[in-house]
Amino acid sequence: MVGVRRRWFQAPWEFRESALFTVAALCTGFVIEYVTSGGGIALPRLPVNAIALSLFAMLVLSVGLGFRNTPAVKWFGGIPLGLSLIFGIAVLSLIGGILPQEVVVPGSWPARFGLHKIFSGWPFALVVLLFLANLGLSLSWKLIPFKIQNLQFILFHAGFWIALSCGIFGSSDLQRFIVPVEKGKVNNVGYTMDSDTPHQLPFSVFLHEFSLEEYPPQLFLYDPHNDKLLMDKSRGTIEIYKGATASWMGVEVLVLDYMPSALPGQDGIPHPADRSKGVSYAKVRISSTGSLPREAWISTGSPFLKPAAAQLGNLYLIMAPGTPKAFRSAVTVQNDQGHAVMANLEVNKPVNFMDWKLYQMGYDEKAGRWSTLSLIEVIRDPWLPAVYLGFFMIMAGNVLFFWTGIKRKEVVS
Amino acid sequence: MIVDFNTAAMVAIACWVTASLSGVFARKIPVLKLFSFVLSLAGSVVMVGFIAWYWSFLERPPLRTLGETRLWYAALIPLVGFLVEYRWKIGWLKYYCIALAGFFLSINMLHPEVFDKTLMPALQSPWFVPHVVVYLVGYVLLAASSVTALHNVYLQLRSKERATGESVSHYLALLGFVLLSFGLIFGAMWAKEAWGHYWTWDPKETWAFLSWLAYLGYLHAYRYKIDRDKLQWYLALAFLVLLVCWFGVNYLPSAQNSVHTYTQS
Repeated sequence: MVGVRRRWFQAPWEFRESALFTVAALCTGFVIEYVTSGGGIALPRLPVNAIALSLFAMLVLSVGLGFRNTPAVKWFGGIPLGLSLIFGIAVLSLIGGILPQEVVVPGSWPARFGLHKIFSGWPFALVVLLFLANLGLSLSWKLIPFKIQNLQFILFHAGFWIALSCGIFGSSDLQRFIVPVEKGKVNNVGYTMDSDTPHQLPFSVFLHEFSLEEYPPQLFLYDPHNDKLLMDKSRGTIEIYKGATASWMGVEVLVLDYMPSALPGQDGIPHPADRSKGVSYAKVRISSTGSLPREAWISTGSPFLKPAAAQLGNLYLIMAPGTPKAFRSAVTVQNDQGHAVMANLEVNKPVNFMDWKLYQMGYDEKAGRWSTLSLIEVIRDPWLPAVYLGFFMIMAGNVLFFWTGIKRKEVVS
Repeated sequence: MIVDFNTAAMVAIACWVTASLSGVFARKIPVLKLFSFVLSLAGSVVMVGFIAWYWSFLERPPLRTLGETRLWYAALIPLVGFLVEYRWKIGWLKYYCIALAGFFLSINMLHPEVFDKTLMPALQSPWFVPHVVVYLVGYVLLAASSVTALHNVYLQLRSKERATGESVSHYLALLGFVLLSFGLIFGAMWAKEAWGHYWTWDPKETWAFLSWLAYLGYLHAYRYKIDRDKLQWYLALAFLVLLVCWFGVNYLPSAQNSVHTYTQS
């Protein structure tokens, strides 16, 4: 790297040639994208993608092992090209990380260059493919002949190769549908996020029960003229419980009583009631400067009952339902052969059925905890085990890397 | 509650300031050296104790808001400073770390926490703590690496000897990279359980990937024996990508659809 300045394309090739190559790949990608009007790239599905990936892997391995001393191949599997391609991927990720993805103005120049779906476009595909070739070549040289001191390199690089290639080649086989189910009903069709076309599923979902737990309700001062919630002095949300206090400019509020579930009696005063019907009530004492303290009942309301607020001049003291703490659906999933599973679906607790995974996704948010509709997402990703294998190899490689890093620290100190 | 935080923060800062002062005088009076070490450690112990108390008080890990993550940085960054001093006999880093920790605590004192116990269902996961803690420690190490690199750049400009400093910034970056990798993969596996897919190019994911690539690039450049002086610049600046990832993402146009934006406080 020192001494006489290298001429362009003078062997051995280094960073300049690698950078030029990467820029050329990026430009080619953007040109294809422009010519195809930002159509992106449509990957084949199983088994074609698996066959293509295996052929690609075999090609890279055989070129790497067969021509390991050829200067061009050495350069293709070397660090300068690897670094340039990493930089190329970083530039594309930067575009994808700054510009909103999947937000399109059709016909605009960013749309024609595919900038709104950078990760499924030609430039990304080309650069990643070249990067996989680069990574694969360097891997082939460390794999054969195998040496134990190369284990960390092999685990990390092979893991990354497997996770990246299977994640990208397998993305065309990812199926995800949203299945809306009403309580007491069964459904066997799903919808994708962006279309109304129903897809027949190989199983059906029956919803026994949907239930939702909430955090305690919160107290707010509402300004209807500006449609704004006013923050109190502590600038935090005020959770309602017996004895809770809040203060806004010139207004002090004390919660005298709190009933999580109640219904108003004939006299207008709430009495405790069953959770399925009742709503939250709180008795508050409001003291404002220049007037006598007064007491009032306020409530969150429900689809069946109007909320009760306390008026304070132009403002209203309101009680908002707490945010959801947990929601779950009791379902029975059944396929055509009669194989059935009963399960509780909850956020973060998906359930497996055949090669599908079922997720609690949402509910009718207007109805809140009275919702009788549950939105269940069903996902099938046949490539997942391969991607996870890659993840675990990267982690194993990293543990070794960490270990050698620590050990080398001793030498330094 | 706010009073409690202020007390804890004041005590911690007082410990660190006294420790730093006595550390400076320890050159002349060796007895102060141990005193300084114990005091600076005590500052971190106070913060760790406060976090433990706060955790049980909130009934959830205090890792949800930006303010809460600052608490962890305040407790952990000085520890990295002590570790570096212990390993490489480099004393100046801990003063920087202490100043940074004090800075984080001051931000929290000036902006009292939004005091909210709620935790949305998607965050209620066994992955929550490992994912965030691994990232926190990674960021702490990389922050220290970046500062060491900056110090080296400064020494380069004044053409002084800096061989030890270079290996410090390198090994901190190496360890930080390992933790970033774990954080990224833990995040992906959590996303699979919570949102159905391990990778959706959410802006936060994209930026986490970018920062990982930045350090991946560094390690390869180092390996290729690129001029180490230039790499100190690289390391010093690489932390900027992490800063965008940590809180800058919230302000980018792409963030409008993100599931990852922190609750502001």
